[in-house]
Amino acid sequence: MSVMNQLPIFSRREALKAAACGFGGVALQGLTGSTARAATKTLAVHVPHHAAKAKRVIFLFMAGGPSQADLFDPKPFITKHHGQTIAAPVDDHQLRVGVEKFLAMGPVAPVRPRGESGMMISDLMPNIASVADDLCLLRGMYTDNKAHAPATLQLHTGTLAESLPSMGSWISYGLGTENDNLPSFITIHPPEDVRNYGSSFLRARHQGTPLNVPASEKASAIKYLQDPDTSAIDQRRRLDFVQHMNRKLLDRVETDAQMEGIIESFELAFRMQAETPRLVDLSGESQETLRLYGIDGKQADRNGRACLLARRMSEAGVRFVQVTMGGWDHHGNIRGALRGSCAGVDKPIGGLIKDLKRRGLLDETLVLWSGEFGRSPWSQDLSGTSPISTHGREHQQESFCTWMAGGGVKPGLTYGNTDDFGYRPIDGKVHLHDLHATMLHLLGLDHERLTPRHAGRDFRLTDIYGDVVREILA
Amino acid sequence: MKSAITIAIWLLLFGASVRNSTLTAEEQLSDQQLTFFEERIRPVLVEHCYACHSERAKKLKGELRLDLRDTSRKGGESGAAIIPGKPDASLLIQAMRYESLEMPPKGKLPDRVVADFVKWIEMGAPDPRDGKAAPQSSRPKDGRDHWAFQPIQDPARPSVNNAGWPLSDIDYFVLHRLEQEGLKPVDDADRYTWLRRVSFDLTGLPPTVDEIEQFVENTSPHAHEAAVDRLIASRAFGERWARLWLDLVGYADQIGTSNNLFAEHGWKYRDYVIDAFNDDKPFDRFIREQIAGDLLDCASVEARAESITATGFLVLGDLEVVEADKEKMRVDIIDQQVVKTTRAFLGLTVGCARCHDHKFDPIPQRDYYAIAGFFHSTESTYKTERGVWSDVIARQLPETEAGQGLRAERSRQHAEKIAAMKLERTEASKRKGDLDKQIQEIGKASEAEAARAELAKERDQLAGRIGQLNREIVHAEFFAPTVPETYGVQDVKKPANMRITIRGNPRALGDEVPRGFLTVASDITPSLSPSESGRKQFADWVASPKNPLTARVVVNRIWQKLFGEGLVRSVDYFGLRGEQPSHPELLDQLATKFVQDGWSQKSLVRSLVVSHAYRMNSSHNQQAHAADPNNQLLWRANRRRLDAEAIRDALLAVSGQLHRSAGGPALPLEFPENVANIDPTNVNPPSFSLGRWRPQQPFVRTIYLPVIRSRPQPGPAELRNVFDFTQPAGFAGKRAVTAVPTQALFLMNSPVVKEHAKALSERLLGEASEPVERLELLWLCVLNRPIADDERTNARSFLDEAGENGWTELCHGLIASNEFLMRL
Repeated sequence: MSVMNQLPIFSRREALKAAACGFGGVALQGLTGSTARAATKTLAVHVPHHAAKAKRVIFLFMAGGPSQADLFDPKPFITKHHGQTIAAPVDDHQLRVGVEKFLAMGPVAPVRPRGESGMMISDLMPNIASVADDLCLLRGMYTDNKAHAPATLQLHTGTLAESLPSMGSWISYGLGTENDNLPSFITIHPPEDVRNYGSSFLRARHQGTPLNVPASEKASAIKYLQDPDTSAIDQRRRLDFVQHMNRKLLDRVETDAQMEGIIESFELAFRMQAETPRLVDLSGESQETLRLYGIDGKQADRNGRACLLARRMSEAGVRFVQVTMGGWDHHGNIRGALRGSCAGVDKPIGGLIKDLKRRGLLDETLVLWSGEFGRSPWSQDLSGTSPISTHGREHQQESFCTWMAGGGVKPGLTYGNTDDFGYRPIDGKVHLHDLHATMLHLLGLDHERLTPRHAGRDFRLTDIYGDVVREILA
Repeated sequence: MKSAITIAIWLLLFGASVRNSTLTAEEQLSDQQLTFFEERIRPVLVEHCYACHSERAKKLKGELRLDLRDTSRKGGESGAAIIPGKPDASLLIQAMRYESLEMPPKGKLPDRVVADFVKWIEMGAPDPRDGKAAPQSSRPKDGRDHWAFQPIQDPARPSVNNAGWPLSDIDYFVLHRLEQEGLKPVDDADRYTWLRRVSFDLTGLPPTVDEIEQFVENTSPHAHEAAVDRLIASRAFGERWARLWLDLVGYADQIGTSNNLFAEHGWKYRDYVIDAFNDDKPFDRFIREQIAGDLLDCASVEARAESITATGFLVLGDLEVVEADKEKMRVDIIDQQVVKTTRAFLGLTVGCARCHDHKFDPIPQRDYYAIAGFFHSTESTYKTERGVWSDVIARQLPETEAGQGLRAERSRQHAEKIAAMKLERTEASKRKGDLDKQIQEIGKASEAEAARAELAKERDQLAGRIGQLNREIVHAEFFAPTVPETYGVQDVKKPANMRITIRGNPRALGDEVPRGFLTVASDITPSLSPSESGRKQFADWVASPKNPLTARVVVNRIWQKLFGEGLVRSVDYFGLRGEQPSHPELLDQLATKFVQDGWSQKSLVRSLVVSHAYRMNSSHNQQAHAADPNNQLLWRANRRRLDAEAIRDALLAVSGQLHRSAGGPALPLEFPENVANIDPTNVNPPSFSLGRWRPQQPFVRTIYLPVIRSRPQPGPAELRNVFDFTQPAGFAGKRAVTAVPTQALFLMNSPVVKEHAKALSERLLGEASEPVERLELLWLCVLNRPIADDERTNARSFLDEAGENGWTELCHGLIASNEFLMRL
């Protein structure tokens, strides 16, 4: 376990004392990669538990619960009985709203076999369908709650309540960073609940840094990255003053890890100020690449930019990049609305896979696509009186679909099957804990050995659960 | 064929001896039974179970071994796997049927195989696999001799060589240890540093310029005590210490985490805690009220209301109220209540024992369910009319006569207000109807264009007003004055013991466990009448002077807040794997004294901060540092960064903007635009969105701002997001202190800090005319000490260079500096 121990992080004092120039000077040195940079390696790369297939993760979070019945797991039985009441094998312990009639509802658009693998993917996602042979589809996923907040939390942290580290934080903790000028965990358009990117009892440097695609030239991608109302000279003067005061205080008390840490954090902040705008500036990307991601000012533009940013961040060495794309909570009118949701993500995601592949990054990057749960194969009608053409689908924790790509998973594999209804998995069952265990495994981390102690207990991302799904490893 | 050979070999090698050695007469296996086992049972176990449930398992799952007869019957964490003769009661069968557990996890075995196992168990589960599992080495035989479970002692004050140093009993214990190690305490902090330290520690606010001057000029030998008494008596004391307590509660102004449900009564619990600290409510009473306040005898109506409000402790955490499986929701809430009470008051992590005996601590699973039984007999939530939602119970509070009178008056005014709005709406609708008619009559003729436009304008204004009135009327009716209510709990109608739930599954039930206490810390069994939950008896046991944990845990928490580290550094965990106390005798002496002083936390706090140990400076000493780098022996004071609340409150204080609030509702729900879904037909429950704030809210102390569980802290509370505020779903006896770039960016670039710098500079310009005076004042305000000569020189050249924004820039630099953020 020694490799997982926290490295001493505050060793900056000597470097600071040696730096004759002002604070800004030190920050600048950091950028040019001088000795100061070596000394500020705050999140050094750790040796993993075993040989890793993937170095980094890009997690595409489909917030709201995409309908696997419409997208990846169509059922002939349901299609055949479309509009009819069926005897659903449901759990009687659960309260239900708007699904009492159990009307079977077939897919809203054709779902067909794709590529050589024959993976089933909906017509609504032609670009994702075109990379079917790169995907590894898990159709036997299940989770423990069917409300958004707890299910989302479980997907991100393994727990339904409480506040535990997010999976990005675990990976940052386990592997460290590859780029000192950027956080090791970035979450683009983050989910609402901050716990989903929080580091909990792991140090705050492992927490996700929220990033937004800048809405305008002047807006900054990271909150308070810039002070647009103050001249550069004034900012520098202010900084130098703070630095001068801090150094004097440190001299007075001689040694203080806390203060050194704060001084160091200022330095990283200023390296981020320089690095981030360069990374979020997409003007250097070719027209062809922008088109590939659907960056054309239309419905996929925002997600396209987010996915392209994710690639750039990942390429720059950020361990865990998450992109959240919402709009999947189709309680009503799924027939109309799902089309739009798919159109918003299809090019960005299909483009991302293609782009990673052609740049040779897909092998070492694990892409994970998942919602917090799935949706029911029967319809939901909250009014109780509408025609089925306007119905939606209810949340479903019993089964849903997730896919992975790259990073050591078997391409083109469809793993797991559900029953005739598409309600419960009958083989290839994979709980979220198993997914987490597998993801860590691909990164070279043993989920049973990544166990920091907190409040007298050893914690794991997978709690006391989780098995690596060996069948899907390449 | 293959299995037949296996059996033959097996019989040859072991059969006879097994049959005659350890099995009782009734269990002697017939050949037929043996064949059945070897053909139908063993191969399945080997193929599907042994990988996780045998000696060869890489990691044994659920503590269950199925490769021996004994261990199969005894079972693992979840209970007996095989009960001979009773297939339906055997967990193994339930799991294979996918009823409670689901085994094997990769997929259900064919019905035929399950039928074989049923038949086998019906036969009495004949099983030749003899042998004993090696005892588990990781579990201590008995942790009862662990220090924290021993009775609290009252050790005598040790002797010291340097008899002139101690100012209080505490100092003898501290100095004694230092002298034992050949160390000396460092010098005292100067008066400025001490006053800043004690002001932040006791009130979360910096001293004012007047307070500094008074203290520095006070030459009385009791000047320190006088300053402490002033701080302890201030309202700010409770505001500070209540927030520290709320870190153990998971307090938020929100129910659960889903859909922004407002916890409109949450603030009553918060104000209760502030008052409890300010009134120096005896801590044992404070504990009893929070666990069982609804069941305690109270002397007055006010005291009864207070006592019920205290039980908010049990329900203001992160209760998930939108679980579709209500029975599961209930056992999960019970779990949270068990975990919270035992961790906050007893410093233990009992939660592990929900599924199995605690691995390190002497807490058997039965103890967990003994305590859980109290909460099993308690109601916390109820199912609402909306969707799958539940809500926390709002209990009615008793009212004084005066209170009733005030409420009647408020109701009357409220009714008048609604009536007035309705009247206005009626008249506006009528007028609008008239206008519609007139507009129609004018027709589309172009010559009447101007007249029509004028009428249309008035009509549109009226339509807007009517819409607004509709919203306001719905809002006013929803929030009409009612009998006062607060979140709390109550006993169920038929209290009962709880049964063990296997892996938290409410439908996989094990033995019933009588309600009781932790056996390691108690040998009493509560005697309960059939109508009692037993929460009162539980509270009495927790708050008993005889409980070896409670007083130690409380004293240690308070010590940690003042000295930076606890005497036991793992403040939330006193179990076997926790830290050993650095000064065990001192801890016990403080705990004993605390109980003798009637559990007065003010007396305890006072005795700690007037000690010499608290008066030391925080400077470095080479020799001491080499011997004790973590300062466990307290050779100097610990420096600390201020927490989020103290930073924000100090910014408000130094910039002269602090608004002293007396408490009250945190969420500004009185603005209709902040409230959604109050229409009763909605599937989702009433919720809030914080768009509009009360004008004074940006300036109140941070404890009075709403705490949101599921999103970043909004509006004026934003600073909490940056400086290690405890996530209100978590639990932190000691907050993390981190240094990350987002903090630096916030300090340098956020509008909030810039505004404070501006307000501070305006204050300076208003209070002093000469630059030299202003600099003196600035340093005294922000760093609470006089400016040094070189700093004055540096500041003057800074001002010269910076030009017109110089003062604001200088203020900004100073409030972003480490010395402002730290308490030395």
